[in-house]
Amino acid sequence: MLRWLLKTLWLQKASLVASAAGVAGAFVLVVILQAVFAGEARQMVAYARHAPADVWVMQRGVLNMHMANSFVWAWKAKRIAALPGVRAATPILYSGVLVRMRGRTMLAYAVGLEPGAHRAGPWAMAAGKAMPGPGEIVLPRVFAAMTGIGLGAQVGLTDKRLEVVGLSEGTYSMANPVVFVAASDLADLMQAAGTVSYILVEAEPGQDAAALAARIEREVAKVTALPKERFTRNDVQLGMQMGAEIIAFMTLIGSGLAAVIIAFTAYSQVARRRRELAIAKALGVRNREIYAAVGVQTALITGLGLLLALLAAWGLFPLLSALVPQITLELTAGALGRAAAVALVVAAISAWIPARYVARVDPLTAFKG
Amino acid sequence: MWQLAYRQLTAEPLRALLTACAVAAAIAVILVLRGFEQGLYAQLEQAVRARGAPLFVAQAGVSNFIAVRSSLPQLSRGQVEAVAGVAEAHPVTGFFVTYGPEGNRTPIYLLVHDTLGGPSGIVQGEPIRAARDAVIDAGLARRYGLRPGDPLIISDFRFRVAGITRGQSAMLTPFVFIGYDGMIDLFLESEIAPDLSTFPLLSFLLIELAPGAQAEAVALSIERAVPEADVFTSDELAANDVALGRELFSPIMGALIGLAYLIGILVVGLIVYADTIARRRAYGVMKALGFRLRHMLATVSAQTLMVLVLAWPLGLGIALAVAGAIETLAPVYRVYVLEPAGLAWAAAGVLAMALAGAALPLRVVARADPTIAFQAE
Repeated sequence: MLRWLLKTLWLQKASLVASAAGVAGAFVLVVILQAVFAGEARQMVAYARHAPADVWVMQRGVLNMHMANSFVWAWKAKRIAALPGVRAATPILYSGVLVRMRGRTMLAYAVGLEPGAHRAGPWAMAAGKAMPGPGEIVLPRVFAAMTGIGLGAQVGLTDKRLEVVGLSEGTYSMANPVVFVAASDLADLMQAAGTVSYILVEAEPGQDAAALAARIEREVAKVTALPKERFTRNDVQLGMQMGAEIIAFMTLIGSGLAAVIIAFTAYSQVARRRRELAIAKALGVRNREIYAAVGVQTALITGLGLLLALLAAWGLFPLLSALVPQITLELTAGALGRAAAVALVVAAISAWIPARYVARVDPLTAFKG
Repeated sequence: MWQLAYRQLTAEPLRALLTACAVAAAIAVILVLRGFEQGLYAQLEQAVRARGAPLFVAQAGVSNFIAVRSSLPQLSRGQVEAVAGVAEAHPVTGFFVTYGPEGNRTPIYLLVHDTLGGPSGIVQGEPIRAARDAVIDAGLARRYGLRPGDPLIISDFRFRVAGITRGQSAMLTPFVFIGYDGMIDLFLESEIAPDLSTFPLLSFLLIELAPGAQAEAVALSIERAVPEADVFTSDELAANDVALGRELFSPIMGALIGLAYLIGILVVGLIVYADTIARRRAYGVMKALGFRLRHMLATVSAQTLMVLVLAWPLGLGIALAVAGAIETLAPVYRVYVLEPAGLAWAAAGVLAMALAGAALPLRVVARADPTIAFQAE
């Protein structure tokens, strides 16, 4: 029975490929949506990943960077720098700002750098200098690409005018583009004299980060200290949390679309072979065997669709990144696993309609003209 | 032609229904994605309009309400209230904080208000009556299972959920409303800041106009009297926030919606293609009976359009159902499916789908062989 069904599918190659392509289309959308959120969540923590900190110190109760407000007295940086196991403690200011460029307003996060805090600045440059002085700003290169501004241009930061002195690489994410300014400029904007947002702590070689974080929390009042991995994980989780439900719903609707396409194809195949199925039944082939064959058929279409979707996604990723440089795409193993699990469920559901049809085929029709 | 197409469809109603369902699902994907994008902008607009003021006073250089830090001097309230045409200036302050246990944190927008600008329409519980009371958006309540009377711990400070409101979120972030007394207690008792000056106590002033006063004239007078402030009508501020939202979301939403359109066209085309292949024998019969190619193509097109006529309301229905489910299960999102421009664009896209879908099977129809038309399958 299975052989017969597979041969039937093979004879209808065009129809099979068309259906698999339709299924692939439905899955591509889901895979890309997941990749967008995963890529964005990863890119959101680009600064935290690259900044020279084994331990991040912030206001007590704050556990991450994105959309958080943290204020710590500036003198605590010196107190931390003097602790055993600490090689360096670099304070930064951090705040959400609006950057105005050529009539466009972009949301960004500004890192305020103290003079000499080179290591807390951008880690890769496309042009210009990495350390902004007072009245200067370093923008992500993507901002410049989007607006056409270059080095020497003036941009607005609330009521300040700053000169673009550098374009950094890898600092853009849709939700969290990072610009760098002098700490004094940002302190002015935030009216935050005498305070810093985060303290980037570098450990002595061989010093365990978790133990150092615990020591800092013991020795310095009213701060939270987190090892880098835990700190960045919190931001990734926050980013994914913001899109979790919408991804779930789009997965559901995309899967529904795939299920209908598969059911349509499988039904078309069995409906066209109604008479042959009747003959098979008249010859003693049991419904159970026919169901199994239909199940394999839908699984085959689903598997082929999923495979095509993954191939299409791999092809589309560089194209989308080139067309829309603002987005970062990342296909994770978890997303692939979820897509495969969804495909299994979709195949099982889609087999139901043709199976129900098969069950109703009357063997007597085999002997009618 | 129409009759023939109709009879071909009704000859196999289950196949016609499955075809319509597949096309409807493709339409629904487009409508939901577009509705999601429009919902993001509608929420930003609503965040301004729901404050209930015709004029907003912001720090000079600040032209948005949400996602931006604005800080006005304390004295500016008195200066603004002294301007002719201003009945009262109501203070509001807003800032983002994160809420929830580690591993399950979400950003919230803390909106501090006094006599105007609070939550509109409390669906559960009561308004703010005490310093520690908070009214939260249903999106936050749903995500963390919060109910009136439950504690709401923000930066180690314990608020009480007094009430739950709906439709008060923007930028994928639910709002939490507290009073000024609550904010001062939060600053003083919690670890939220080393001292009060690091957070703006006065971000915006919501202007209540005196009877007969013209908003534009009053705005000009305020800007003249208070140079460190900029004044916006609620329309201007809402438009600025929507523009910022478009800047932020439109690249990705545009890419996703464009992709959904492409996939929709592909799905419709492939479904029609598969359906036409399945009816190849019928087209062979038509050829044998003397039908010309253009008649057969017209029949295929008519059939496709009939499927679309069936699929459009079905797709709209699915999209509305999905939107309703999203807004109920995750109220932090708004999916604005019935936005007229969005519907018009989707309808245009679906028409394009129909044309592409009808064009795709041309080759199959043209090659239908009349000599095999009467052979048994």
